[in-house]
Amino acid sequence: MTATTTPPVAKTSPLFGPDELKVIKDPLWDNNPIALQVLGICSALAVTTRLDKALVMGIGVTFVTSIANVLISCLRNFIPNKIRIIVQLVVVSGVVIVFDQILKAYMYDLSKQLSVFVGLIITNCIVMGRLEAYAMGNPPWRSFLDGIGNGLGYMWILAVVGAIREIFGSGSLLGFKVVPQALYDAGYVNNGLMVLAPGAFVLLGIIVWVQRSISGYSEK
Amino acid sequence: MNTSSNGYVLGFAIGVCVIISAALALTSAALKDTQDAAAEFDRQKNVMMAAGQLQAGDTRSRQELEQAYKDNVREVLIDTETGKEATDRKVEDRAKMSEADQKRYRMLAIAKGADGKPEAYVLPISGKGLWSTLYGYLALGADATTIKGLTFYKHGETPGLGGECENPEWTAKWVGKSILDGDKLVGIVVKKGTVDPAVPFEKAHMVDGLSGATITCNGINKFVKSDLKAFDTFLGPIRKK
Repeated sequence: MTATTTPPVAKTSPLFGPDELKVIKDPLWDNNPIALQVLGICSALAVTTRLDKALVMGIGVTFVTSIANVLISCLRNFIPNKIRIIVQLVVVSGVVIVFDQILKAYMYDLSKQLSVFVGLIITNCIVMGRLEAYAMGNPPWRSFLDGIGNGLGYMWILAVVGAIREIFGSGSLLGFKVVPQALYDAGYVNNGLMVLAPGAFVLLGIIVWVQRSISGYSEK
Repeated sequence: MNTSSNGYVLGFAIGVCVIISAALALTSAALKDTQDAAAEFDRQKNVMMAAGQLQAGDTRSRQELEQAYKDNVREVLIDTETGKEATDRKVEDRAKMSEADQKRYRMLAIAKGADGKPEAYVLPISGKGLWSTLYGYLALGADATTIKGLTFYKHGETPGLGGECENPEWTAKWVGKSILDGDKLVGIVVKKGTVDPAVPFEKAHMVDGLSGATITCNGINKFVKSDLKAFDTFLGPIRKK
């Protein structure tokens, strides 16, 4: 037996090995859920009129994706294949409702403004996509990181869109005025297009274009 | 274990549902008090907003606002049959009254100005829109005739269509309109289309409609008028002063 030559089998992989880091970093740039997979566009257009709305929505999706990923990953060997999508939906709905209840209790104003879109996280393709593509086949910790990564990847794009729309659409950022009054006096007006959905369409298109040309991705 | 047998599938589905619903029930129960407090604070803010004592973008903390509400706004129970304050009942007990009594006894918030005199009378308004009951506040100025502000704080109308009733840009159009034509109570009419400022009646009593929300607007017309009528016994004497 040449036990010394075989490396010790790492039964428990490290908490933050290179693989784990890749799981988090990949969806931030190389495999971004919005820019590359073009998922979750509906909410990206609807809730990005202001930066705070975009951030809370991003936090919501990160929360839901990571928790649902962990739960489904723990159950992955017990879930009957026939009803796996239904089980995923039930778990996602549960987590979304919890998030909605927390919002209602501690951030009532924002929860009113986000209105239906918190509930619609249930149908956000990113969440279901990660459950089906990742959590069903990977252990809980990595699934958790994958959820965080994808949530953050979604969030930063929303934040960029939200910040640009708020600055040019309402002249403020996070509710504070950033466009000086002198500029308004000189005849500057807020861009109405930015507050409306078409503004988000245009912006999102530009962001996807820029992101893809930098990351060198091209549709085959 | 055979995870594709019908018994297993059924059992698993039931198990997941039971566990998730239990978890949801628990969260809901644990957060109920905080949520109710947040909703009550939101209601108070809406009263102050309708009365013009709070603008969007106010940076005061929640505590300061709650104190301001306590200091400047007085909620009274009006007996709409006599037009006087009901002395034998309390505002807090209104929710427990019978339906007929709730119609008769109504809450009204009186907002004080800096000089201590009533600056606005804030009437709760509510009624059916398209999908849901809308709840809001309509504030009349010290003359009890001119609209001072309007807010809707709870409704289930379609976002972007009927839901636009809470859009500040729209509610701002109500300000300065008059609910009286001579001595006659006409309320405020939400017109289908835009108001023609050349027609005096439209200019004084009508506001632009919300496109795509005809039924919501019709509902608003109806309940605003009926609520104003209900308070007429109380507001009438104030106008004569």
